[in-house]
Amino acid sequence: MRVACLAVPLFPLAARLRSEPELLAEAVAVVAGNGPTARVVVASRRARQRGLRPGATLPQARALLPHLLTRPRDPECERAAQEALLEVAERFSPRVEDGGEGEVYLEVSGCEHHFRDEHPEAALARALLAAAQREGLPARAGVAGSKLAARVAAGLTPSPRIVPPGEEALFLAPLPLSRLTPELELAETLHRWGIGSIGELARLPAAEVASRLGEAGQQLHARARGLDPQPLVARVPPPDFREGMSLEWPLTSLEPFLFLARTSLGRLCRRLDGQGLGCARLEVSLRLEPDGFCERSITLPAPSRDVKTLLTLVRLDLERDPPGAPVGGFTFAARPDRPRGSQLTLFGPREVPPDRLATTLARLFALLGPERAGTPAVPDGHRPERFALVEFAPPPPPRERPAPAAGRGLLQVRVLRPPVPLEVLVEAGRDGAETPVEVRPAPGEEAGRLAIDGRVRVASGPWELEEGWWRGEPVAREYWDVELEGSGIYRIYRDRERGDWFADGVYD
Amino acid sequence: MGAPLRKSHRLLHRAPSAGLPAELRAHLSPARELLDSPSGQEELFASGLPALDRLLAGGLPRGMLVELRGRQGSGRFSLVLALLAAATARGEAAALIDLGGQLDPERATACGADLSRLLWVHPHTTREALAAAEIALAGALPLVVLELGLPPIPGGRGAEAAWLRLARAARGHRGALLVSAPYRASGTAAAEVLAARPLQGEWHGAGPAPRLLRGLALAVEREKSRRHPQPETVELVLRAAGWEAMAADPATAERRRRPLSLAGRVTTPFPRPSPPSAGKRREPPAHFSRLLASPLSSARGPAGAARP
Repeated sequence: MRVACLAVPLFPLAARLRSEPELLAEAVAVVAGNGPTARVVVASRRARQRGLRPGATLPQARALLPHLLTRPRDPECERAAQEALLEVAERFSPRVEDGGEGEVYLEVSGCEHHFRDEHPEAALARALLAAAQREGLPARAGVAGSKLAARVAAGLTPSPRIVPPGEEALFLAPLPLSRLTPELELAETLHRWGIGSIGELARLPAAEVASRLGEAGQQLHARARGLDPQPLVARVPPPDFREGMSLEWPLTSLEPFLFLARTSLGRLCRRLDGQGLGCARLEVSLRLEPDGFCERSITLPAPSRDVKTLLTLVRLDLERDPPGAPVGGFTFAARPDRPRGSQLTLFGPREVPPDRLATTLARLFALLGPERAGTPAVPDGHRPERFALVEFAPPPPPRERPAPAAGRGLLQVRVLRPPVPLEVLVEAGRDGAETPVEVRPAPGEEAGRLAIDGRVRVASGPWELEEGWWRGEPVAREYWDVELEGSGIYRIYRDRERGDWFADGVYD
Repeated sequence: MGAPLRKSHRLLHRAPSAGLPAELRAHLSPARELLDSPSGQEELFASGLPALDRLLAGGLPRGMLVELRGRQGSGRFSLVLALLAAATARGEAAALIDLGGQLDPERATACGADLSRLLWVHPHTTREALAAAEIALAGALPLVVLELGLPPIPGGRGAEAAWLRLARAARGHRGALLVSAPYRASGTAAAEVLAARPLQGEWHGAGPAPRLLRGLALAVEREKSRRHPQPETVELVLRAAGWEAMAADPATAERRRRPLSLAGRVTTPFPRPSPPSAGKRREPPAHFSRLLASPLSSARGPAGAARP
């Protein structure tokens, strides 16, 4: 079995710089602890060149580098970077083990066939490094017959380092014993024995080492001989994708938050894209200052990995329901799902791709609000102005295009919402029934609305309408269809309760 | 070996229709021509109204902005709904950007529209409407109708640059775009312009009320077209809902007379019209009878021809 190890040196710093790439050229240190007791965990190359070493206190670091930028260790950044590293490895091999703290092992037996190169394993390792670099993680790689040898090889420069099959012991022999990371007590004992390199330990008799150093010594001796008893344990892919960061200063306005959210969502979408997945539901967790969390969930009409769509939905959700406190950190978790492609067809109408439909609806919601776009529906009742909007989810188109049918050529009515108030002159007939004879805009009607004015040429009615009396919302109207001279045909009604006239439709 | 190869080579370069009967040959097209033609029959959105489809040379084309103008009561909205109904009934998704929200879903269903395939959007201003139409086109919706409602248009006509941008979006996304406006709005962006004007509302019955709205006769003129520059005018009749059913079933005409123009509950006795008799009944005007006699429509000559 051939194992590759992908390791990110100075992982806490690399994870932080992945989230804040603008700090790449600066002298930066990641610190642990608070106040004067804070100590440098890891520092960037520029800071190390000025003499800053891990373990220095913050005042010592400031004395060396007055303009040093410091960042606390961010578990969110490190967790997201580790996930990204695992996903890089999963693009190359289905068997990947999480080594923790910026280390990933993957079984590469057989994978080298995908690389047409004189040294396919080296080409594979270079491709691994390039993929990690694209994720913002500068990594090193090693390939060997065991996890241990691969890890040690990954720690050496230049990278990648390939250990030929069967030569693990030969590769490890000249290296110092510290590469095996022995326990401190064991290391002191071996130092007293004069053992300085891995090869010197490997040459000792195994039984004698076991009798003097116990089980730990026996395991260390086996590792020194290139034997790694720990098999590669492939991990189960995580069911969700998370990206986020802790903010140095709490945010109180939306725009800066969205600026940061865009980069996080971009990383999230790239990770989803790498797995061929889309986000079906986005869960947003906001850490509020001084304490508390605000959790919200945004369901998408169809799985999508479009950053603009996700950002628009986050913006809409926050505008509709602000968190009510400064935000000190955030996490986006995507519930993944396979994106639904549109069904290709030879003979039927083309289906609108669901992911593009989701994007379209999200953009329309952002422009107009969710209550102003959807599929029209007919609620129960008789009032002509009634309507309802439901979610637009068109059914799949027919497999074959139906033959064009002749249209009915029906005269439609434009419904005036709200109805236009009118002043109507009526004339009583012989039987006492009143008929509209002239229509004018109601006094005080706002300017700029539809002007309905003129003598009635033909009137048809009354058509009476009653509903809602059983609900306590009675509607009683007398409808007329009237054609005005030189204008058009309108549907007007008189409210029988108040006696007011309105126009609620135009035959058009 | 060489002779059979030369023979097959000659066969490949022969006209594919050679040897076929003339009536079949007329319907054949080389595949290369089909690939090159941007608007085959599948690319057109027919309305199902022969007169309107004739003006549109078969239907609404993809990749173009077509404007339909007409003042209130010109039948413009009915033509828009006919196009949407025909497209959704064939299984196509469509968007109606309805400035003013004037759609009656019940009447649209009666017209034959499949509402589940219709995205109805309610902007408040022209600017919002233009942006919504562009979003709908970018979302791969094959048919987008921008209905600007009744005058005055809230927000004005919109900037010329916005219309050009919209036309470019229709061309880029290969979507069919129809702009329905009370007056010319899209300027030079429109590839085709149709103008609708009402001729006369037609009523059934004599004397004062009661009468029944029977339909609306209208004329539609092709004012501008890059595909067919020759102006042309057609006349067609739109029938009022209910009248169609009553006319088709005379036996139930009396029973159906009440709820013709409104799907409401009629609670008071409807004053019935006098029974038709040879002496009292008023016949529809001559031109209206002629329109009804033909299947829904009749074509007229070029614009400017005198109305009979």
